[in-house]
This record gives sequence, structure tokens and C-alpha cells, in this order.
Amino acid sequence: MTSSTPPLIEDLARKFATKLLLKGELDLSERRLQYLLDHAYLEKVTSIKSSLNFHQCIRCFNRNQSLFGKIPRQNNTPIIYCKHCIQMNRVSSEEPLYRWVGPPPMRHRVKNPMKWKGELTPLQVKASYEMIKAIQHEAKLLIYAVCGAGKTEMLYAGIEHAIQEGKRVCIATPRSDVVRELAPRLRRDFPTIHSAALYGSSTEKDLNNHLVIATTHQLLRYEDSFDVMVIDEVDAFPYHRDQTLPKAVERAMKQDATKIFLTATPRTKQKVQIALNQLPTVSIPSRYHGHPIPVPTFKSIFRLSKTLENETVPPSINQWIHQKSTSNRRFLLFVPTIELAEKLSAKLTIPHVHAESPDREYKIKQYRARNIEALITTTILERGVTFPSIDVAVIQADHHVFDEAALIQIAGRAGRSAHDPTGDVTFFYEYKTNAMVQARNYTIIKNKEARG
Amino acid sequence: MICYLCLKSIKEETVWANFLSPQFRYTCDDCLNQLEEIPPPFCKHCKKQASPNHQKCDDCKRWANHFGEDPLDQNISIFTYNEFMKEMMARFKYRGDYEAVYSFREPLNKAYTTHFAKKHYTLVPIPLSDDRYETRKFNQAEALASLLKKPIHTQLLKREDTTKQAKRTRTERVLSKNPFHLTNHPPEKILLIDDIYTTGTTLRQVASLLKNAGVKNVKALTLIRS
Repeated sequence: MTSSTPPLIEDLARKFATKLLLKGELDLSERRLQYLLDHAYLEKVTSIKSSLNFHQCIRCFNRNQSLFGKIPRQNNTPIIYCKHCIQMNRVSSEEPLYRWVGPPPMRHRVKNPMKWKGELTPLQVKASYEMIKAIQHEAKLLIYAVCGAGKTEMLYAGIEHAIQEGKRVCIATPRSDVVRELAPRLRRDFPTIHSAALYGSSTEKDLNNHLVIATTHQLLRYEDSFDVMVIDEVDAFPYHRDQTLPKAVERAMKQDATKIFLTATPRTKQKVQIALNQLPTVSIPSRYHGHPIPVPTFKSIFRLSKTLENETVPPSINQWIHQKSTSNRRFLLFVPTIELAEKLSAKLTIPHVHAESPDREYKIKQYRARNIEALITTTILERGVTFPSIDVAVIQADHHVFDEAALIQIAGRAGRSAHDPTGDVTFFYEYKTNAMVQARNYTIIKNKEARG
Repeated sequence: MICYLCLKSIKEETVWANFLSPQFRYTCDDCLNQLEEIPPPFCKHCKKQASPNHQKCDDCKRWANHFGEDPLDQNISIFTYNEFMKEMMARFKYRGDYEAVYSFREPLNKAYTTHFAKKHYTLVPIPLSDDRYETRKFNQAEALASLLKKPIHTQLLKREDTTKQAKRTRTERVLSKNPFHLTNHPPEKILLIDDIYTTGTTLRQVASLLKNAGVKNVKALTLIRS
């Protein structure tokens, strides 16, 4: 703590420290930027490393050569830029990143930051205890908990402990919908700390806050920043598929940071690590309300894909929808493709959302507020989001986008509320797939484990 | 092979017709389908959409009143400014993904051949101010013009730094001071190239400057009419 740091520098340190930022993101006047560079408060970092025409993006770790572009210049070699992270504005051979090398910023300590008064189940208590232990020992921990086990509440004790110790915590999750859902909950339960919710279109700023809730992509802007990193849904698509994101997460953490992984459906890689005892694990097979997870019902429909192609809705699906609306049950219909979502939406006059729909935030809000009774969705609502008391159906559950993890997650959307712990999960399909059977077996096994 | 607009990989099926000479493509079918050519009816003068069969739309009449005689003889645009195009322009211009421009090579060349080929126009891309060029590292109009593989004249005009057109209202744009000035003697027939025609103010600022300097014919080719 350097009390002699002038206030302006302290402000800048809060904004820039432990980040790798573009000139535009610094938002400084030319003169001030030059001053900070000259007096060793900021330094330039080459953003594209090139050797023998092989390029590498320092910000996003991209090494796929087809994702580097060239801007031609007169009488000069072309500028090389990275397309992989262009969504966060351009880094190029002419546009360096900036790193804060001035005095580190201060962060005030908060005593008893948590104001949550709820009660934890014994299993949640166990997970909380393990997490605190992991933070104390700067170790890693996998919390393997079924959907609806109350993962967020399990983190509370750990987050509280870390913040009291003056540590900086990040919760990284693959989807912005999850950030938007988590942030208000955490703010309600930790009202006195500084937090920032970061995703593509958010306008919040992280000024060296106690807690950052961010989509995984946002971590590309960080370096040596967090003491505790909670990685939600490690098995989920962007983190699992995109090789560069795990590297970004590693860089965003301080050297001996604690890593907490959360998942309901570990991938083979994590399963192997668990089996070899390389990854300390707490397993939570039951939901917080103690009721079993709904077991999916299979309904086969002859020539389902053909029927849907002809833009007709099979009678059994119609019947399911009709039954739900007459008994006043709210539901989600999962479909494999955006195209089908749009078609069905027009046919059934039920609103739809998908990754590219512009009003998705609004529709999800409306659904959450119970202004909409039903919603057709692609896999974007597969995980992380909680709507109490709903039923779900998967149309074309045999489609390849619905792998085991996706189906388990979808089934996990039902019966989330303690007042209404049962829910109906129905898979409509044409050909039974392994993924469907494994998903059903998973729920049966977990329910058995939970009964002890 | 990746699509230069959405960056997803393009999987070309190998069939007898193409197995000997695989075709290189810049754009995937999904993206091509989302580019929307301006459907008729449109204004013959500026390509504004849905003006019924009149020769000129109300905007063009207003311009004619404003100048006495419209300095811009014609504007040809290709695409509408739909949601997809807005997203693409944001990526191309504001985030600076230069290579997205290659996806417009074919449509731009087609429009050029249909309307302007063999008519001896000199291609003049609308310049950027030095400041803007310094941050963007390229001029989007020049990038588009260079797709035509014709000599382009870049030493004719200069632009002073002003607020972005996109951040101004219509009235502010129409009443704004002309930020351009000539730096060379202009040829007789000029085809201005720009990315987007919104109110037509920029193009007319340049066109009136050129007409005053004695240019006979000024037309414009723009990628988008919004």
C-alpha cells in the first residue's frame, strides 16, 4: 500500500492494472498517454508476434494462420491483424497493447461482506468448506454437482472468505445470460463490495473490484489479476472447444491462484482426472430441495424430421403443448436449429430465442417475469439459467447438437423450485441415440446416489 | 477456407464439376443469403427504396431545390442496410477487419460493369481525414475502390477532421460545413466511391466542389443505401 501515490495515478492504476488494453480502451489523450509511457507507468506490449510469416496473437493466443488478416500499405509491408478476437476491437502489428507497470492500486477490505441469510444443505456446507480449504491452500477443486444443487449458494462462503482475506475473485462463465442472472443475485447478497459484470455489450467497468463476474471471453483482457478463479460450466462449449480460452483463464489468474471448477456434466478429460485423483472433487448428487431430478420420458415419433420439414407439427407434440397450456404449466421447447426455432415459432405462435436474436435479453426477461407462458429456444438456454416451475421438451432429441451433456443440462431446467420440485421432461425423437440413453441413466444414477 | 464475413470455415463439397479446380470463395452461402440487394421499386436517381414510379424521390427533389441543380448526377447502390449489413459494417469499419471487404468484390464489380464500364470515369474514393486514417489504418472507400482493379485517383481531395457522420442527425449533416477541398485539377468525368449513402450529404459536398471546379459529370457508386 503506497499512501504516497498521487490520486490521479491511483485512479489510473485502478483502471489499468493487471490488464492488457488497447489504446482505445485506455481512453487517454495523446499527451497523457505519452507522459505515462515516458515515466514508466505504462508499457507497450507487442500484440502480434511474427516470425517467418508465422503469426501469433498475444491477446487471444490465436495461432490459426487463416484467422490473420492483412491491411495493404503503400510502399510498406502490410499490417497484420488478428481476426479471432476482432470482436473486442483490432490488435495488429501496428497497434500494441498497453500494460500498467506503475504502482499497484489499493483495494479496501470489507469485513463480513455477505448478507445472505439462507440455509445450506449438509452437502452444500461440505462443498463450501472444501472451497474455503482450497482457497487457504491455493489449490484447485472441482465441484461436481447436479443441475439445481444450488451451486451459486455453495460459493458464498468461499467468496466471503476470499474477500475478507483481501483477495480478488472472478466468476467466469461461458454465457452472457448467466452473467446477467448471477450478477444481481450476488449484488443482493454481497451489498457492500465492489463488483463488475462484464460481457460483450455491458458498460460496467472493473476498477480493481473485489468481485468480477464475466464471460470467459472477457478474460482475454486480463493478466495476473485474480486470486480466486471460479470457472462455471467447465465442460461448456466455448471453454471446452476453443483451445485459446483455457490459456486466457490461466493468464488472468495470479501465479498461485485458487481454481474452482463447477460442472454438472464433466467431460472425459475431467472424468479421467477425477479417477486418477489428480483433481480434488466434491460430488453433490442431490438438489438443494432434496427431491430427485426428473427422469426424462422418451416419445418416439415416426418420420419426425420429415414431418417438421413439411412444416407440420406432429400430433403428439401438439398434444403435449395443449396439455401444458390447459393445466397452466409454463414450458420451454428446445429445438436443435435456429431455422426450426423460427418455423415452429410462426406455426405455434410461441416466441423464440436463439443466439442471434436481437431481442433475446428482452424475451428472456419477459419469460422470467411470467409475461410469456412458453418459449422456443435453441441450446442457448441449456445451462446456467433458472426458471422455477417449468416443464421442458426437446424436439428432435436425436439431433447431433444434443449430446449427453446438453440433454442432462436441459433436463436439469425442470423442477428447480422447492415448492414445485417435480417437472416433466420429454424427449421427442425419431431414432434413439446413445446420448439420450446416457442422459436418462445419468439422472437415474444420480437419484440413486442421492438416496444414499 | 474461411468465410471472410462470419469467419466460420467453408466446407465445399467435392463433386465431379470441381474436383480438378477447387474454387476459392470469400463468403459462405449463409452470409451471401443475408446480403440483400435493393429491391425495386427504387428512386432512379439515388436508389432510395420504395419510392413509387416517380423519376425522383422527395429527398432528391429537396437536394435539387437546395443546390438549384443537384451536383450529383446519379448514385448507384447495391445492398440495403439490413441488420446483417449493419453488423458487417461495424466489423469492417469500426473494429477494422479490413479483409471483410473482399466479400464485396463480385457484387461491386458487377454493378460497375452494368452501370459505368467503358464510360471513361475516373474512380475517386471519398477520402478520410488524417486523424481517422491514423486510427483505422485504412480508408474503407479506397478498399472498396481497389476491388475494381482500375486505376484510382487518391490525390484529388483532402478532408478535414470532423465528427463522424454516423453520429450526427440529418439536419446537422445537411447544414454542416464542407470539410473537403481540392488539391489537384480534376478530370472531366468522375465516379465517386464510398461505402454507404445515408443522406447523401458527403457525396454532394464533394460533387458540388467538383462541379464548381468545372467537372462535367459526377456519379457515385456506393455499396449500401440506407
